[in-house]
Amino acid sequence: MTDLAITLAQAGFPAPMAQTTLMHYLVVSALMFGMGLIGFLTRRNLIIMFLCTELMFQAAGLALIAFSRYHLNHTGEAFVIFVLTIAAAEAAMALALVVLLFRRKETLDASSWMQLKG
Amino acid sequence: MDGLISPILLYSGCVLGAIGVCLALPRRGLSPQVIGALLFALAFGVLMLALGLKAGRGGLPNFNFYLFSFIALGASLRVISHPRPVYAALYFILTILSSAGLYVLLSAEFMAFALVIVYAGAILITYLFVIMLATETPTADQVEALSEYDRYSREPLVATVVGFLLVAGVTSLMATGVRGIAAAPVASAAANISDMPVRVETALRSAGLIGENEHIANETQTQVPAINLAPEDGSPGYVIIAYGEGRTQRITTNDPRWPKDLQLSNIEGVGFSLLKDQPGSIELAGVVLLMAMLGAVVLAQKKVELDEQGKLAAQRRSLSAVLSADNSPLMGPETPGGPNVREAELKPRAGMGAPAALTPHGRAVNITSANGSNDAAYPITGQKKIGGHK
Amino acid sequence: MTDLLSHLPLLLAQAGEHAAHAPAAAGDAAHAALGAPRGVLPAWAGSLPLFPLLACVLCTLCAIFRVKTKLPAAITVALLALSFVVAFLNYQNTMAHPGAQAAVVPLFDWINFDWALAHNQTTPAHVLVANFSFYIDPLTCLWMLFVTGLATLIALYASEYMSHDVGAGYCRFFMAFNLFVFSMACLVMGDNLLLLFLGWEGVGLCSYLLIGYFYQRPSAVAAGKKAFIMNRIGDLGLSMGIMLTYVQFGTLEYDKLFPQVAGYWHLAVEHRLAEVPFLIQLIPVLFTVGAFGKSAQFPLYVWLPDAMEGPTPVSALIHAATMVTAGVYLVARFFPLYLCSAWALDIVAWGGAITALLAATIGMAQFDIKRIMAYSTVSQLGYMFCGLGVYGATGGVGHVFTHAFFKALLFLACGAVMHGFAGQLDLRKLSGLGKMPGWKIVSWTMLVGCLNLAGFPIITSGFFSKDSIVGGAFANAHTQAIGWILLITAGLTAYYTFRVYFRVFVGPKHYEPGDELHASHDDHAHGHGDHAPETAADHGHDAHDFHPHAPGWAINLVLSVLAIGTFLAIWTVYQLPKDGWVAHMVNTSTAGAATPEVEEAHFLGMDPHHGALIASIVMAIGGIVAAWWLHLAGRTTAATSRADGLIPALGPIPNLAQHKWYVDEIYDFLIVKPLWFLSHILYFADKLLVDGLVNAFGFMPRAAGGMVRRQQTGVLHDYAVSMAAGITLVVLVVVIISSGGHF
Repeated sequence: MTDLAITLAQAGFPAPMAQTTLMHYLVVSALMFGMGLIGFLTRRNLIIMFLCTELMFQAAGLALIAFSRYHLNHTGEAFVIFVLTIAAAEAAMALALVVLLFRRKETLDASSWMQLKG
Repeated sequence: MDGLISPILLYSGCVLGAIGVCLALPRRGLSPQVIGALLFALAFGVLMLALGLKAGRGGLPNFNFYLFSFIALGASLRVISHPRPVYAALYFILTILSSAGLYVLLSAEFMAFALVIVYAGAILITYLFVIMLATETPTADQVEALSEYDRYSREPLVATVVGFLLVAGVTSLMATGVRGIAAAPVASAAANISDMPVRVETALRSAGLIGENEHIANETQTQVPAINLAPEDGSPGYVIIAYGEGRTQRITTNDPRWPKDLQLSNIEGVGFSLLKDQPGSIELAGVVLLMAMLGAVVLAQKKVELDEQGKLAAQRRSLSAVLSADNSPLMGPETPGGPNVREAELKPRAGMGAPAALTPHGRAVNITSANGSNDAAYPITGQKKIGGHK
Repeated sequence: MTDLLSHLPLLLAQAGEHAAHAPAAAGDAAHAALGAPRGVLPAWAGSLPLFPLLACVLCTLCAIFRVKTKLPAAITVALLALSFVVAFLNYQNTMAHPGAQAAVVPLFDWINFDWALAHNQTTPAHVLVANFSFYIDPLTCLWMLFVTGLATLIALYASEYMSHDVGAGYCRFFMAFNLFVFSMACLVMGDNLLLLFLGWEGVGLCSYLLIGYFYQRPSAVAAGKKAFIMNRIGDLGLSMGIMLTYVQFGTLEYDKLFPQVAGYWHLAVEHRLAEVPFLIQLIPVLFTVGAFGKSAQFPLYVWLPDAMEGPTPVSALIHAATMVTAGVYLVARFFPLYLCSAWALDIVAWGGAITALLAATIGMAQFDIKRIMAYSTVSQLGYMFCGLGVYGATGGVGHVFTHAFFKALLFLACGAVMHGFAGQLDLRKLSGLGKMPGWKIVSWTMLVGCLNLAGFPIITSGFFSKDSIVGGAFANAHTQAIGWILLITAGLTAYYTFRVYFRVFVGPKHYEPGDELHASHDDHAHGHGDHAPETAADHGHDAHDFHPHAPGWAINLVLSVLAIGTFLAIWTVYQLPKDGWVAHMVNTSTAGAATPEVEEAHFLGMDPHHGALIASIVMAIGGIVAAWWLHLAGRTTAATSRADGLIPALGPIPNLAQHKWYVDEIYDFLIVKPLWFLSHILYFADKLLVDGLVNAFGFMPRAAGGMVRRQQTGVLHDYAVSMAAGITLVVLVVVIISSGGHF
């Protein structure tokens, strides 16, 4: 058993990951982020728009975990905990706002809110 | 060859994906969603092919990666293209579950479980509740009707171009190779295990490296750390063992009897990272959650005034509900009675109130209260009366 | 507050330590008090101002909780009585150590800068200490005794007087009342000039608030503003004096200031004033400006008569007995400093004399009895300043003490009349009140007050204190002219005082209600059970349903106590200026500085004090007799008297006096109008030039914004698309840069 393997084992990782493997994960992450972005830009239902932001959070989380695995430490995972926290907080706040907005206008169409028009 | 093919494949994959997504999005007129989905799957295949070509045999991920990422991306495409919010949310759960699979592949088991519990278990349930609360009441004749804003997406072309330009930009970074992200075996994670002497001692004892009447030395005895499994100078890790009266012995990780199961589990690693390396972060997360809770409470008790558009919508729906009430087969047994409904038909035209309405389930309830007053509870917001009665 | 009180012993211990390290007073044997050991007071000595402050807070709470009862008055009376008890105990403790230096009772650190240590400098100018601590010596005790005592009595009086306003107004009144007592305590007890200034401004603020108590009445609002602005002029002088003190002496604490002053003061005693630096001589002059503003002396006196727009208890406490004596306190406290100046005392004396005469002549021609009392206050304050100015701190302070009682009494009696007759104050419309049932106590106590004010010989305290001032003026050769002015004024005072008494309280019975009849008569009528029956045969035609209501127990009690107090005060002043209680209190404080030798003078060939005594008696009796002849003897109606026949003979003087010598109009013409004109010029300059420039700068971004604001479509998706496009652009740029053109 080599020193590196022992160190890795002690750190809790089975083996180092190749950079190209990392690339695969990152491309999946980028595609998922793109999906979320496109969804946010095209869908008009406020709830689905927020769902798309969750998708983008997911993509970021995946990238973080992949980097964490690649760099052989757990900081990325700690960050994902943050992503989860923010997502939960955002869900609580944003959805409360969505309900308020819905009650006021009886619609979830994002285009019906245009008070900021210059 | 390699340097040439990969970018071309990557970019063509991105273009294919863009076309696919663009077609898959709900739109006016002809909506070839199936073709879009197929194109998207093709694009995924092309991208993976490009990456695989670049990686060569040694750097390929295993089959499960392809499976999970395909499911995740397919589900996310469905999230953004499905016209019904409930189904979008359910597909999002599928995305989450397959992402959790990817996390497991990345040996982040704890995060995978946390993801499923928090996201699929908590956040998505909240979404489903809100979808239930904030959905337009279907009219009686069109129970399954979709809102206009759910049926058609907005400018899918522009959004897709922007989105996939971004994807292409990011992936081309990978195609050309990124400097400065070389993997470095980080000793700090390994060093964490040195902070768990009891575990180290138990493991060494069961491996037979520490016998009876022996124990890990006291640091005051040795003047150096008694356990240092990942010294910074790269030398093999060691454990100093004390036995007899003041005698010590050093065991290094090179020892053939060194226990193989002495390793940090994923949850321990995350725990060390979170509580030892970034101790303030968990406090911050707590504060964020507290603020979100306060904000939600404040928002929840806010009184909402219907504006003109909202009033019109409410009135329109309540009218159509009443008009269709007498011959609707959906009228349930809890309706107070036929004559009352007929009266109610005439009243709301004059008044502003919404004396009759349908619940989201299409059941007509609470047409008028017994004395015919028009303080009917409003059906959508959990039987809560809303402003607008003047 | 309990927290604060529990810290007091500790603070006191620190103060003792501090005193031990204080440099010994400049070796001047002439002022024994400065070198004497420091007096020690118990820890609660500094709690005196906390009671009114607590009462103020409680009254505010009453206002917040919309208390509709007389609770604020009860709180006020109880807590002010407590503060009076503390004042009395302080007095006893202070007098228990005769000859001791003043005690300094620290409450908490307020301003305590010491930047000498940082730069290794030791000059005193690098230390600024102005802590919230109290300097308690006999002068302080004297002042606090009558301030808290009168405040308690007048609060009791006000509890009845203000009863028509129970509710928010009642709470507001007592809140400001308590705040006033707190500020006055800070002013009098403060151990440094900054705390004095804080109290000075505080009493000014409370005065403003209470003058404008009836804020629906435009005249009350105007009077409040006038008082505030006139006081600003004086306060400017005082604040400049304080700054100059700091620049010259490097300290604001009395403790460190007076030993330094004592260094100059032997020059004064030896008639070598020319050697005192000019700027030090200037300090008392600036203080005098402040004192003249606060104590309503010429030329800053015009606010005080207008201040009578406030409720009568306010007039009695603030504008007659206590606040207006703050100027006298300032001069008395800094008497050693005044002695170091060649002109300050002369300014004080002449200012006082002119004011005394001017106000007395105006008072003679007024018809509003409260206003007459206001002018008499101005006039009597002039006496006090004269007393100080002619080297007689004892006489001046003694007159403050006696005046506080009898003037409060007079005002409260006038207030009772005003209260009972729906705001009627015109002496031509009231007559023979003493014969109406229920008004006995008021008219008897009024008589006592009038006798005091007129200086009726031997049986009144006002006589002794006033006489010591007049005698002091005659004793000094170069102030004999002032003595004559004061003597004449004494005669005029006796005349106008008894003009009020003879017109209103004796003579044929007649009354007409005032203009508050319709507004508040109902409130008044239900407040008291003892309505005066219809007694006046020929009372006003429009008042057929009006019943004057006699004062209740609280007002009568307070009037009686004050009347008795004026007699008791004789004991404190009858041996002035050489001896007696007041003289003892003054002479053992900082005001007791030995005055330089003056040229002995004689008055009509007699010893000046005896001569002045006789002359005063003659003038007082003469004035009273003249008033009797002109206003009582043979008078059959309320509106006219024999004096009316005299008016043509005097030419324009009565008219001028009735119009207050047109001083207000002159001020208006000389100061207000030019300022108004200048302000308008500046206003237009500001409008066109400054605002124009600012608007020009504001216009540019607005125009620029107008061009790009069409970007803001208000649609969420448009913003999101532009944001995403921006991110994409950035990523592409990064890609191109990082690839180094490898495409």
